[in-house]
Amino acid sequence: MVFYVLAAITVGSAAVVVLARSLIYSAFSLLFTFFGVAGLYVLLGADFLAATQLLVYVGGILVLLLFGVMLTHKIYDLDLRSEVTQFVPGLIVSAGLFLIIVLTALRTEWRVGPGRPPEPTTAEIGKLFMGPYLLPFEAASILLLVALMGAAMIVRRRRDA
Amino acid sequence: MIGLHHYLVLSAALFSLGVLGVLTRRNAVNVLMGIELILNSANVNLVAFSRYGTGNLQGQMFAVFVIVVAAAEVAVALAIVLTLYRLRRTPNLDDADMLRG
Amino acid sequence: MTGMDEVLLSLRRFVPEAVLTIALLLVVLVDASGARFRNGLNRLLTVTALAAALVLAARLHGVSAEIFSGMLVLDPMAVFFKMLLAGASLLVVLAFSFRNSRELHGLGQGEFYALMLAVTVSNMLLATANDLAMLYLSLEMVSITSYVMVAYLKGDRLSNEASLKYILFGAVSTGGMLYGLTLLYGMTGSTSIPAIRDFLAAGLSDQNRFAVYVAALLVFAGFGFKTAAVPFHFWCPDVYQGAPTAVTAFLSVAPKAAGFAIMTRFFYQGLATPGAGSWDLSGTVDWPALLIVISVLTMTLGNVAALTQTNMKRLLAYSSIAHAGYIMMGVVALSENGARAVMIYLLTYLVMNLGAFLVVTLVHNQDGTFDLRDYPGLYRRAPFLTVAMAIFLFSLMGIPPLVGFMGKLYVFAAIIEKGKELWWYAAVGAVNAAIAAYYYARVLKTMIIDAGNEDKPAFKLPAPDLAWVLILVLANVLPLLWWGRIEGWTRASLSLYAGR
Repeated sequence: MVFYVLAAITVGSAAVVVLARSLIYSAFSLLFTFFGVAGLYVLLGADFLAATQLLVYVGGILVLLLFGVMLTHKIYDLDLRSEVTQFVPGLIVSAGLFLIIVLTALRTEWRVGPGRPPEPTTAEIGKLFMGPYLLPFEAASILLLVALMGAAMIVRRRRDA
Repeated sequence: MIGLHHYLVLSAALFSLGVLGVLTRRNAVNVLMGIELILNSANVNLVAFSRYGTGNLQGQMFAVFVIVVAAAEVAVALAIVLTLYRLRRTPNLDDADMLRG
Repeated sequence: MTGMDEVLLSLRRFVPEAVLTIALLLVVLVDASGARFRNGLNRLLTVTALAAALVLAARLHGVSAEIFSGMLVLDPMAVFFKMLLAGASLLVVLAFSFRNSRELHGLGQGEFYALMLAVTVSNMLLATANDLAMLYLSLEMVSITSYVMVAYLKGDRLSNEASLKYILFGAVSTGGMLYGLTLLYGMTGSTSIPAIRDFLAAGLSDQNRFAVYVAALLVFAGFGFKTAAVPFHFWCPDVYQGAPTAVTAFLSVAPKAAGFAIMTRFFYQGLATPGAGSWDLSGTVDWPALLIVISVLTMTLGNVAALTQTNMKRLLAYSSIAHAGYIMMGVVALSENGARAVMIYLLTYLVMNLGAFLVVTLVHNQDGTFDLRDYPGLYRRAPFLTVAMAIFLFSLMGIPPLVGFMGKLYVFAAIIEKGKELWWYAAVGAVNAAIAAYYYARVLKTMIIDAGNEDKPAFKLPAPDLAWVLILVLANVLPLLWWGRIEGWTRASLSLYAGR
């Protein structure tokens, strides 16, 4: 039951993100989508991931997107409209993709097993980061360094070499 | 009884909506939102497979890295959009037409 | 062995990347210090680190293992690619200098060196990834670093537009790839590529075959984007045109090489089972058929579109797309000769393409133009440069005894030996090479024969730039003398680690 509520929130708000005329409506609907996904993670027993989703996606990425929306509207025109081009071909492609994926999802024998009973994951994720996933962990920090440096460099106004 | 298939259909819906956003939107920030939908749909897949599969956490670990990548991507993308806006006063992709597609 | 022991052992096998990472951190610190000598110091640090990485990678030859708990794999082919990637970065940093560059004049240098080091590490991680999470992470590391490098000319509208198209297109392609990767995880219960291969090889029901096909198509979105194959090539001409030429030159060789390395590894190691000298597809889907279609489209579109280009960077971009089509022939072959052809082609492609871009850069430094219509009279004004360009273009065409011929030879041979059914495919490749010859020759004709620019003075090129052109020319001409050794090296680099 809870699943259906969360699913409705998530997919419904995602639809608003994609179809809304106003950029602000899209941005705020995205908030609901992210919350919905976090709720789904909780339902799936991924507590650490749900918290990370909220912290990073809502607290970081969404805020950044909102800044982006706010800083790029026309100064004299507060009506943050976003136009839609070539809607019908896009809809056909998107619907087609949906059908193919759903078909795949329902027909395939996924590797199902005993599954993971809902239990706290944080400790085990921590151990994995210090063990098998050590390299991607460090590599990700390089990625973040480069992204930060790069973003700052791109936005910064000209300085002397 | 909620099972794996429910989550897979949900993620398919999110993925398709994300693609729809990417294909039809003019505003670069809107396209970015579509991309975030795509990444989130993949993450739902990963966590669902982790839960209903053989019980390993590899899916969840993968999902954490996807979130990290998404954050880095959005930071750089917005930096570029901001610069575009500063140079041309519009965040619309159609107006970015100096290069012959 | 305990976790810590394994990490220490892996680190010893990770030395090239470790050196580059330390250098990266040092460069960032030096640049932040604001000292007056920081640009020179950073350049020195970068060059030293890249050269060291090259040498250290060579010393790793002979190791065959998974490192870092199966996240990366180290085998002779990995060593080959690490050397290729370090070498490519080193050449770009050395040959394309800030000093005389009209484009890069006045821009901060520290970030460029840091980015070059970071992208080299990322390329190396990508070429040796053994796990889906590592694959995705390293692919995105290469991509995001590239987006930043393309956006380097931040005040320039063209450059900014190019970087926006690049990042949006790239993010969508890799997003699609990610979805495909999740499907593979779902089917096999593991993110480790050897484990996936073992699971798939054990037998696939027909329903699952469809899923693997869909997953492979989606995953190819990411590979196609990195190597600029049709239909994921749309970003290529715009990005090549808008980015600083040094970055364009780099993008055309290094990430492309890393992309092909992982493509080969993923398809050969993940979706096929190693046999004796060739791979066996019986457990999985017939992906070579898909790649044949893609590579034919890629070659043809690239060559046909290049015919009408007047902007040199766009022309070389379409040429680059076409070459990706030829390289894919090696992947399609699904044999040791195929893998070897890919490696040889990428090696030769490095020196031909960098040479062509270097000439384009030098002309731009002098005249301020990338337009072919401004090229007439170059034979008179810069004879050495024109001859060098002729050599690079003939190499790209695939004319013996230049090094570019060898790349095409190996790729065609790998396909032809697969049997009569694929001869049409080799024929398409040959026809494409002929079409390509037309536009390469057109460039030469413009430089040598066309009248124009009689009033412009002769080129005054600084000695270091001329030296690098000469070095690249020799790299195109001389290898044939030592072909036996080069061939031996690639043959020895062929074994792909088979996993547990």
